[in-house]
Amino acid sequence: MPDINLTIDGHKVTVPAGTLIVEAAKTAGIEIPVFCYHHKLDPVGACRLCLVDFSPGPPRPQTACTTPVAEGMVVRTQSAMAVQARADILEFELVNHPLDCPVCDKGGECPLQDFTFRHGYPTSRIDGPRLHFKKPIPLSENIALDRERCVLCYRCTRYYDEVAWEQELTVGQRGVQSFITSQFDQPLQSVFSGNIIDLCPVGALTSRVWRFESRPWDMAHTESVCSKCAVGCSVTMWERRGQLVRITSRENDDIDEGWICDRGRFDYTDVNDPKRLRTPTIDGARATWSAALAGVAAGIGGKGNKLGISLPADLTNEEAFLFKHLLDGPLRGAKVKMHGRTAIPAPAGPTLRIKEIDDAKVIVIVASDTEQDVPIVNLRVKKAMSKRGAKLIVIHPDGVDLDRNPHTVHIRNEKGSAAAEVRKLASHELLKNPGGLVAILFGDGHGSEDMNELATACGDLAEQVGGKEMPLYRATNERGALALGVAGWDSLDGVTSLLSWGAPPTAGIPSSVRFLVAWDHLPRPEHANAAVVLPATTFAERQGSYTNLEGTVQFLRPPIAVQPPLKEAWEALMEMSVALGLDMDYPGIFPIQRELAALVPALAAVAQPPDPEPAPERVLIGPAHP
Amino acid sequence: MSTLSAHLLDEIKALPARYPQPRSAVMPALDLAQEELGYLTPEAMTEVATALNLDAGYVEGVATFYTLFHLEPIGKHRFYMCTNLSCTLRGAGEIVEHLRGVIGVKEPGEVSSDGLFSYEEVECMGACEYAPMARVDHRYRYDLTPEKIDQLVAERKSSSSPLSPTLSPEGERGKPKPKRVSRKKSG
Amino acid sequence: MAERRGTVGGPVLTEWFGKPDLHTLDVYRSLGGYSAMQKVVTSMTAQQVIDEVKTSGLRGRGGADFPTAMKWSFVPKDHPGPKYIVVNADESEPGSAKDRYLMENSPHMLVEGAAIASFAIGGHHAWIYIRGEYDLPFEMLRDAIAEAHAKGYLGDHPFGTDYPLDVRLYRGHGAYICGEETALLESLEGKRAQPRSRPPFPALKGAWGMPTAVNNVETLSTVPWIMRNGGAEYAKRGTEKAKGTRMVTVSGDIQRPGNYEIEIGITYRDIIEGLAGGALPGRQLKVFWPGGSSAKVLPASMLDTSTDLDGLKALGTMGGSGGIIVMDDSHCVVKAAARLLRFYAFESCGKCTPCRVGGNWAVRTYERILANEGSQLELGILERVSEGLQNGRCLCGLGDAAGWVIESTYRHFRDEYEDHALRHTCNVGKALAHA
Repeated sequence: MPDINLTIDGHKVTVPAGTLIVEAAKTAGIEIPVFCYHHKLDPVGACRLCLVDFSPGPPRPQTACTTPVAEGMVVRTQSAMAVQARADILEFELVNHPLDCPVCDKGGECPLQDFTFRHGYPTSRIDGPRLHFKKPIPLSENIALDRERCVLCYRCTRYYDEVAWEQELTVGQRGVQSFITSQFDQPLQSVFSGNIIDLCPVGALTSRVWRFESRPWDMAHTESVCSKCAVGCSVTMWERRGQLVRITSRENDDIDEGWICDRGRFDYTDVNDPKRLRTPTIDGARATWSAALAGVAAGIGGKGNKLGISLPADLTNEEAFLFKHLLDGPLRGAKVKMHGRTAIPAPAGPTLRIKEIDDAKVIVIVASDTEQDVPIVNLRVKKAMSKRGAKLIVIHPDGVDLDRNPHTVHIRNEKGSAAAEVRKLASHELLKNPGGLVAILFGDGHGSEDMNELATACGDLAEQVGGKEMPLYRATNERGALALGVAGWDSLDGVTSLLSWGAPPTAGIPSSVRFLVAWDHLPRPEHANAAVVLPATTFAERQGSYTNLEGTVQFLRPPIAVQPPLKEAWEALMEMSVALGLDMDYPGIFPIQRELAALVPALAAVAQPPDPEPAPERVLIGPAHP
Repeated sequence: MSTLSAHLLDEIKALPARYPQPRSAVMPALDLAQEELGYLTPEAMTEVATALNLDAGYVEGVATFYTLFHLEPIGKHRFYMCTNLSCTLRGAGEIVEHLRGVIGVKEPGEVSSDGLFSYEEVECMGACEYAPMARVDHRYRYDLTPEKIDQLVAERKSSSSPLSPTLSPEGERGKPKPKRVSRKKSG
Repeated sequence: MAERRGTVGGPVLTEWFGKPDLHTLDVYRSLGGYSAMQKVVTSMTAQQVIDEVKTSGLRGRGGADFPTAMKWSFVPKDHPGPKYIVVNADESEPGSAKDRYLMENSPHMLVEGAAIASFAIGGHHAWIYIRGEYDLPFEMLRDAIAEAHAKGYLGDHPFGTDYPLDVRLYRGHGAYICGEETALLESLEGKRAQPRSRPPFPALKGAWGMPTAVNNVETLSTVPWIMRNGGAEYAKRGTEKAKGTRMVTVSGDIQRPGNYEIEIGITYRDIIEGLAGGALPGRQLKVFWPGGSSAKVLPASMLDTSTDLDGLKALGTMGGSGGIIVMDDSHCVVKAAARLLRFYAFESCGKCTPCRVGGNWAVRTYERILANEGSQLELGILERVSEGLQNGRCLCGLGDAAGWVIESTYRHFRDEYEDHALRHTCNVGKALAHA
């Protein structure tokens, strides 16, 4: 469809057909204030703040957020009516709004403040008692609700309904008595609940983890990626005085579209734990790095298969590369277990990209409860179904949240027989003539399925119906570790030496271990008998890259500088390798990345990290788009 | 331990098929639940939600929006007293005052000590030519006077069975009613 | 003032009212009922029906006054899925009781009209959304529909044709906002009844996402008569542009409150003093709402205003839903306005900011004024709120209506407002003013 030309406040603008006036205005740098409008939610025209005049058009003003542009349209956002209408609406919003700015966490990044300053009346005529509600109300452990501040833009309930397909957050009563509530005052359960904090244009929904922590202008923010699962959503990490104080979403339309799950948003307080390990120890006594690493080398070198190596889910590509050198050299033969990984083998060929789900005509999900396994991919599937007409077939023994949609076809298989069900799918009526791309997402049923069979069945189905597969890895860098050959699957029972890298193995330290080396950021009960404990950096201090489940390499950018005596992971590994006899001397992480890229074509992108000092994003109007 | 009877839950589960989209069943389902229990408890609303494959929060949001869904006990008989303009012009204020005294409550929503009565001041019910008027349970009562109020209350105190017909969402439950007596016309 | 063209022939809607058991199918049929539907489904096309209604000049009687045939023609004929007629039987406008009156006296008239309308838009289902308080009309409609099914007038083969037609019922549960058509559609879909942003309009995306025409009870009840007697016959009544007859409800401080069928074009004096008997003994009429509480008030000095719908619009008010409320000099206008604002604030759905907040702010301001705590500031707030509620600021007409109440009562009865707000007194009537 051809582009549309129109004029907004005298500026000539050209935008694609279907663009809303409020978005078109942004291209000309004109701000039309909005509360209820959000570019990822269906427009409703509820708050009435964006009223503009346009001709040709009806005699009464219309909301810019619900009106698409038309050829030759002339829009006036500064007409007397529009200017007064905006000031009036803002005044209405302030009539019952409490004078909480000094104690409200939103202050400094608050659209209500900013819009009132820029578009509202300079003096107040509000003289009378305001409506009161009990406040604050804990909606969950992580989110607090303040009903007095709420401007009833309904972004939160609309998000829950449209994007997450849940209604545990709802509106009660009607009219001016309306309020946001969680169903029957029960705590919010959804793994997607935290996004309402970013959506809320006022301080009604705030993070309890970050409560009263700092003002926006006191924090430095860094664009990074989340370390909690294989989806690899983009996040913004906020730092103040060397502490990681909050994590918010950051829009990446290729992967997360601006949403993150609660694990990524709230699970960071361990970074600031005062009990963080800072110095190496040998048998519990403080030691230098060189002494500790010498002790490590002595205890794990040349042990063959009596050595176990436990690797974390969020092992970076660079660390994996160094481990590969170790496993090809002094630690050859060791048993390796990457915990948190699925049983899915490395991909056979190119796989589906997350953004391609948008265009799928039929989506097939096998052996995975995506809401728990890969939450943000689950949201993308929901969007494809509800907004783009995709059909969905789920093969899973139990009910999943996608069943909420009455059009979901759910085939309940016996555990272990998923592959057989997939083979039958080629003749399913939805797949006879899909009319476009078929997306085949498959997990491992948390160990209940034979993955070789299932992966083959999915590959065959993809060929038969014109589909592309997406293996649903769960561990953050499972795909990168698989590409580098270190995503081990061995049992660690029977080893006498154990190198535990990252969080301790979920199954615990095997009783056969005599010599334990732990590289961890917090003291653990499992370290009680450790020979050497090395202090680890967390994701907030980590440099490096992850390969997400679709194969995209994404780079971490740490908000917190590594404070000596802490060492970066790659540096500690490099020195450990030297202590074990390898000849290695990397002055920084970039040479590691270049070598890695040369070695593994699938990870060639590791050699092209983006600009280390990107221009900071404007954070004038809140962390998410207003 | 379920709040709603198994029979009622079966009826509710059969509702979605009657509408082009299943969510439309939520209002008639809540109606049936309210009929059985007298008012809607959070447990009842949750059971309705489960029976309709909806989130309980969704059902709560719907139930709190509409004034005919009662979320607190209302006693056996509810007087819905219109106090909008036409009825007030014709003396609804005094009638409500009188009603309060007769049933023994001080404010709207309060249930009388014998558990039989409560009242509510409501908006226009579309019978302005008979002002002042009220809806008592499921019937309109017109041209109210203090004497009529006394009579309406007395009738209900002495009767032990419900005086109003139960309503199904549409025609299936009831047979066509017998011929009705000619209604009072106006004008 | 549009010229009345004289009464031609008798009533239309209330033609058979008064006949015993008119609500039963046998009596209704014996008088000629369902002959229109039979003619339509067995021998006419949908376009012919629309043309006949267009000739009649019928306009919506729910308050919006939109030409009915035009509304039906907006429904796309070639749409592959279902198309719906939704009957707005949510009558909740203060002062209006005509729909209840029509449904209680002749439910079959509405059933027949709804079925014909479905045929006209190429649909097969009409849904009657009836307010929950209307228990008796609901039961009567339920029985009437069952009778029609039993007789073969509704169902898979109405009158032996292959064009299925059905009329279904859906009860509301207490919300004035459901009278707004898109809020009604939301409620029909089982949601909180909040109006939708338009466009898209219901004709394209209505009930359950399908093309829909929402019509008032009285409008559809008129359709059988038009199909029986011809659109031209209907058009002989009324004024040049506002044709036909309509129902009005007259209530308040008058001798004979009731529902009356009038020919459009007579004056309000004809109705209020003629049909409804005029003021109560010893009192003088002061003000009247010409079409429900949402119509801007007119002072008693304007009783000779014509009921012509376009003329009323030119005066800035409207014929609305025909709910005429009359108030005399024993009642205080400020108190009446305050009571109405409480109504609008209570019924506000809460979706859009100006209505939700402005309505409540107005209520609190009226309370201060009536508690003798008022001043020029409060009057300024009322004026501000009234302006902030009108002219496209709100998502639907409920907000505008609240603004009209404030504005019109203030314009015509400024001295009463100033008595309360500035002089802290009420000079209305000799008796205690108790509105």
